[in-house]
Amino acid sequence: MTGAREQILGAIRDGLRHAVLPDAEADAGAVAAPRAGTAGTVGREKLWQQFTEALTALTGRVHHAASAAEAAGIVAAVAAEHGARTYLSWDGDQLGCDGILEELASRGLARVTYDLPFDGERRAAEVAALGDVVLGLTGSDAAIAEAGAIVLASGPGRGRLASLLPPVHVAIVSASRIWPSLPALLADAPELVGRGANTVVIAGPSRTADIEMTLTHGVHGPKYLHVVVMP
Amino acid sequence: MPPAPATATATATAGSDARPTSPRRVQLFVTCLVDRFYPGVGDAVVSVLERLGVEVIVPSDQTCCGQPAFNGGFTGEAAAMARHTIDVLTARPDPVVVPSGSCADMIVNHYPGLFRGDDPYAARARDLAARTYEFSQFLVDVLGVTPAPCPGGPRLAYHASCHGLRGLGLHDQPRRVLQAVAGDRACALPDAEVCCGFGGLFAVKMPGISGAMLDAKLDAIATSGAEAVVATDVSCLMHIGGGLHRRGSAVRVLHIAEAVAGARRA
Amino acid sequence: MPSAAAAFHRRIDDALADTRVRAALASTMTRLTNGRAGALASLEASDAIRDQARRIRAHTIAHLDTYLDQFARNADARGCRIHWAPTATDATRIIVEIARAEDISLAVKSKSMVTEEIELNAALGAAGIRVVETDLGEFVVQVGDDRPSHIIAPIVHRRREDVARLFQEKLGARPEEVADVAAITAFARRLLRRDFLQAGMGISGVNLAVADSGSFCLVTNEGNGRLSTTLPRVHVAVMGLERIVPNAADLGIVLQLLARSATGQALSVYTNIISGPRRPANPGAPGAHGAPGAPGAGEPDGPDQLHVVIVDNGRTRMLDGPLAEMLYCIRCGACLNICPVYRHIGGHAYGGVYPGPMGAVVSPGLMGLDQWSELPHASSLCGACKDVCPVRIDLPHLLLTLRAQAADRELGPWWLRLAMPIYAAVATRPALYQWLGSLAARVSQGLARGGWIRHLPGPLAAWTAARDFPAPARRSFLQTYEQRRGRTGNAS
Repeated sequence: MTGAREQILGAIRDGLRHAVLPDAEADAGAVAAPRAGTAGTVGREKLWQQFTEALTALTGRVHHAASAAEAAGIVAAVAAEHGARTYLSWDGDQLGCDGILEELASRGLARVTYDLPFDGERRAAEVAALGDVVLGLTGSDAAIAEAGAIVLASGPGRGRLASLLPPVHVAIVSASRIWPSLPALLADAPELVGRGANTVVIAGPSRTADIEMTLTHGVHGPKYLHVVVMP
Repeated sequence: MPPAPATATATATAGSDARPTSPRRVQLFVTCLVDRFYPGVGDAVVSVLERLGVEVIVPSDQTCCGQPAFNGGFTGEAAAMARHTIDVLTARPDPVVVPSGSCADMIVNHYPGLFRGDDPYAARARDLAARTYEFSQFLVDVLGVTPAPCPGGPRLAYHASCHGLRGLGLHDQPRRVLQAVAGDRACALPDAEVCCGFGGLFAVKMPGISGAMLDAKLDAIATSGAEAVVATDVSCLMHIGGGLHRRGSAVRVLHIAEAVAGARRA
Repeated sequence: MPSAAAAFHRRIDDALADTRVRAALASTMTRLTNGRAGALASLEASDAIRDQARRIRAHTIAHLDTYLDQFARNADARGCRIHWAPTATDATRIIVEIARAEDISLAVKSKSMVTEEIELNAALGAAGIRVVETDLGEFVVQVGDDRPSHIIAPIVHRRREDVARLFQEKLGARPEEVADVAAITAFARRLLRRDFLQAGMGISGVNLAVADSGSFCLVTNEGNGRLSTTLPRVHVAVMGLERIVPNAADLGIVLQLLARSATGQALSVYTNIISGPRRPANPGAPGAHGAPGAPGAGEPDGPDQLHVVIVDNGRTRMLDGPLAEMLYCIRCGACLNICPVYRHIGGHAYGGVYPGPMGAVVSPGLMGLDQWSELPHASSLCGACKDVCPVRIDLPHLLLTLRAQAADRELGPWWLRLAMPIYAAVATRPALYQWLGSLAARVSQGLARGGWIRHLPGPLAAWTAARDFPAPARRSFLQTYEQRRGRTGNAS
């Protein structure tokens, strides 16, 4: 193993002696700070407008809620639209909406939990049992205005399956955590890369145009994406 | 060979005389294809420049810029032809005008790289590159003139030859010249900036692909309503013109200098 | 003509004859190039961002050993197992060994061009491991035993009816299950969901690794990239060693351009940034590489093992010299979409894994010119590719470099190797040049009718196959100019 590593790194060092690399600057600092597209000169309301336009164009839907009860009402309505009685979810303290799980329970929606043991063989069966769940509920870490995208970092109590397996995904986002662009976000909050084992930037429902350039949604990921903006 | 057309339109109209600091003398690098296949284009360039008060010297020892060898990967042969061309054109200090975007691109962008840093031709190539211009580029950027309108004449569509467009950055100089000359005789050509498929030896090395690209260009010309296709490069025009003739089309090809000179060509 | 070149020309002829695929290609290319143009037009300071992305990639490649080493150490610290594969065979051997060690019988795969390079599916198949492509287009390619014809849109050459028929014949789909594109997609989703759930291994590529955090990003629109790297307990990520940036801020800049250049989207639907396997409760505890931590307090899902296979397979060969700039490439496909040659001949004609302008450089770059010397000549050097490349790679220059290398090694048609030195000898002797020109003109008069020649001899017949050739003037411009003007232009 170390032999192969040394072989490759050595081959790179040898190659670099004759490599013709236009525009390679010696100083890493020269390329570090992004100049363009990161200035937060646009007001937050404008950003949310931009976000809503972008996500709506991707067939996502944007809602606003001021309380856990309101948010729960929106989730319940979406669930009813799709005939969902059960849902996957992040833990209550990760959603950014205290009390929403209780509110949902009082509206007759049942949270399904799962336990995938590490290095376990029961994995496939456990996950398969989640196959009938129609709705997934998550919080989020950030929103990106120009792409209509939300950012979700994995972690304890923040499973990936909720935003991945069910055909309907509802994400609660905080109104204060919106950035104009991805580079702006990553320049401001680089720790989002690596906070969890997986940070995903989701820009709308799953889609493909592989067949005759005809757009279809809900290929392998969710077909419906709802974002609930809370203060 | 008939003399330059006497019907040549008036010199640059008031307000668009050549700038006072403009060169009063240039050298013409006529290019091998113009020299042998379209000598009338050479006449048109001389006629237009002289009308604008610029003296034109035509060095008689010029031959070929070497681009076909360069594009084929024959850099030794290309360098030999480059040395000859540099010798011919640097004997005088005057700027060089070229009725071809691709040949001008060769001299401006590729000549310096043909020679190692310590080769005396490297510096001479850079000197030459700094004072070589495609024809419409010379009119617009150096002389600062707008040609006079040329009333009557065919409806013209402009095809943007690739090397001039992307190599020299001639995004608007040819169009401005054409617009000034043709006015409402100018027709839009769909996909004007898509390659016609000539590509030098590409046309005979990859004839199927070249032919397919030519067909696409000819189809676009047919929809444009143009009676003539104008370009900065006779290489493209030879290829497009050959295709038009094969199709039995009445559409002609015209070099931009001929359009400015008000020339007709059967 | 050597057989590789002859085969290439045959493929070109076949491709040109297929007018249906050409029409499908043309409309797809137009859609994608218009998408790109619109997306870049609405991106503020797009030129500056492209310049910056170029500098980021250039700087990274110029210090590739440092950044790759940094990435490997940081990824290892996060619980990844790093493997180094100098050759394709090394890479497949490593991955087969991982699969055997973990008793894998089924692997799900998210589209990855480098895995096509190393022919991974065949190697796993030979070891008795079933591999299922999950990207819809690649799935169709796999079911049809076909090859992708575009790096972003793999089945641009297939009609809906072709796919429907294929699913009925090979997968037992009923006609109503493949009646339209939505139905076909839903059928594929159901079928593949079973494989996602059962597979013990997920295989992906790497769009870009991030050196300072030991992370890497994987970009898809369908969600198969997420599913195949979340559900199975083992994730193997295969990475071309040049696909890396120094830090998250740099990643953000490059990602601004990737989807916009490829399809016109601001971002792909899923930009997945992966930093190690699923985290147990105590990441610092012994056996942190996928070992159990306190249950319930670690991450609830994700792969237990994450392997990164760093692949060379000719990249250091490409680094060693004038083709190194090609390593800046982020595999967006914009050059394919704009190329008029690609538009007419499609992806299969190029042979190899990578088509279009970038393929014409990468194939000979990674594998040497011997079998690929014709590819760089399948271009009119129009320069449109360089115009659209997000990191401004000078593709025409690289193609010319390869042509020069091929000429130096005397690969190419004999008549050209003969004609060029003669042409140069003539063109450096003005009097001979003019004299021979007049001779050729006189000869051509014999072939011409009404100023045009319909049939040229020898290799030049290729011209007159598609167009007429103008008869040259008997006396050239230079020959008559002095006479008419009565003055010489010579300095001497």
